[in-house]
Amino acid sequence: MKNKLLIITASFLFAVGCKNDKNQSKEDLIKRAYAIHDKVLTLDTHADTPLRMIEPGFDMSVRHDPKKTGSKVDYPRMKEGGLDAIFFAAFVAQDIRDDDGNGRAKSLCLQMIDSITTSIDRNSDKVGLALNPEDAYTLEKEGKHAIYIGIENGYPIGSDISNVELYYNKGVRYITLVHSSNNDLADSATDPHGTEHNGISDLGAKVIGEMNRLGIMVDVSHGNDSVFYDAIKMSKAPIIASHSNARAVTNHKRNFTDEMLKLIAKNRGVVQLTMLSNYLREAKPNVMRDSVLAIFRTNMKEVSEMNTDERDDYREKINLINKRYPDPSANVGHVVDHIDHIVKIAGIDHVGIGCDFDGGGGIDGVFDVSEIKNITVELVRRGYNEAQIEKIWGGNLLRVFREVQAYAKKAGNNSI
Amino acid sequence: MYKWFIVLLLSSGVTFAHPLRLSLCEIEFYSKENLISVNLKLFLTDVNEALVFNPYSNELAFCQPNEHSDADKMLMEYLNRFFYVKFNRKKINFEIKKKKLNGEGENTALWVYLEKSVEGKFNSMEVKNAVFTDLFYDQNNIVYIHINEESKSIMLNKETSTYKLNF
Repeated sequence: MKNKLLIITASFLFAVGCKNDKNQSKEDLIKRAYAIHDKVLTLDTHADTPLRMIEPGFDMSVRHDPKKTGSKVDYPRMKEGGLDAIFFAAFVAQDIRDDDGNGRAKSLCLQMIDSITTSIDRNSDKVGLALNPEDAYTLEKEGKHAIYIGIENGYPIGSDISNVELYYNKGVRYITLVHSSNNDLADSATDPHGTEHNGISDLGAKVIGEMNRLGIMVDVSHGNDSVFYDAIKMSKAPIIASHSNARAVTNHKRNFTDEMLKLIAKNRGVVQLTMLSNYLREAKPNVMRDSVLAIFRTNMKEVSEMNTDERDDYREKINLINKRYPDPSANVGHVVDHIDHIVKIAGIDHVGIGCDFDGGGGIDGVFDVSEIKNITVELVRRGYNEAQIEKIWGGNLLRVFREVQAYAKKAGNNSI
Repeated sequence: MYKWFIVLLLSSGVTFAHPLRLSLCEIEFYSKENLISVNLKLFLTDVNEALVFNPYSNELAFCQPNEHSDADKMLMEYLNRFFYVKFNRKKINFEIKKKKLNGEGENTALWVYLEKSVEGKFNSMEVKNAVFTDLFYDQNNIVYIHINEESKSIMLNKETSTYKLNF
């Protein structure tokens, strides 16, 4: 039944997005896309689902309604969407950069990691902890989803480089150097105070050295452009961007310029496409909604004169207007526009997918993990073949992961 | 018709709200100081939407020289409906000690610092954080709790808005 529904949804998306192709019916194309999707290993490199795991009572083994709860990933929906492997990111928000702040960040990060491993232990019939590239394939053969661990924001490393090994031993296989504000390692693309280290700091350079030694992938998403260029120079192994898009398609500071895309190809790294609407297309004003709201507000009583019941009544009415005229979201066509561009500039070996579910990711047609097959349908519709889709859906990232581990082994990490 | 046109014109420059429905909250308690403090980091557009039904309103002008005389009062009234901390099962009546704006454009955050002295041995803490769940079904509020040397992170939202810690 669910598969039928998916085919209907995919047919609709297909009908919206495609011109008539006399040689191939819609249903044939969708069936072919689903067959490819089921055959290749599918890997999403970025989900903030551990934030859900710290919600009291949240159960990853239960299917949640994303339209009611906002939750985008759980194990039943991973199965529905045919997602074989995922990186769950342990995220700690940037705060005070002193010993106390660093200590707290470390403690919070370890709790987030523990919440991931606890969830894996509780659902060991469905998922398994993955530490190496081949684990994804092994777990897939066992009928389980592979759960990899990343850290989003290097803040919990603090000024103690030995923490990198501590996190490695906990299962962490990539670290995003920085998040939305500058930290001691690197500058953020979105810090309102601008650059602080001119890219990566001396401490950040040492952390990269340690990540290389251990076999942890260096993730430059969220960093400013200088962080990208510094990481390319400093890292002895290829780098990744776990959730970033192409700036030539959508002009956003978090996205990569063509020059950066060419360099990541030279570096043998990979850019993982993310499903955040604002990184996928230029937002158009919601004129109808704003107009209706403006009229509503002009007829509104003075806020200071409202009692609680009146306030609740106004709130309900405004919520109804917002529901009736939602902001137009990006769609799967925008996603593949970015993929097309990266393939054109960097090549098919340097693009992948990192949806950022539970961190703001989710668009029309790929609202949650249960709908990711629609990306494959759009790729097939645009002419990508199975070998190319296999690379996009995980092959490229795992190739980089292997290279990162190969360097670490050469550098003396015997635990790989 | 004319009014409609003017409205369209005025609203055409409106930018889009931040994509993340998220707030941050840090609660600290140090038994030596007998003080509970709360640091809330809220998107300013959400605060304005919640208080005056307009995300881009400058009516309350938080942290500006022309800040509305009732801005703090309105903010506390809202917080008292959607946020609380109970210390040993007793709700704490916080006061706003400091506020500041951080960031720019749609990502501007209003940082609100609350504190209150408490008495007695610490046994339990209960936190409710449902801020902006009246606006957004998918609002998530990350809460970091630091008690003496221990830290804990939880996520609260519309479905699960409270959390209790026992010691």
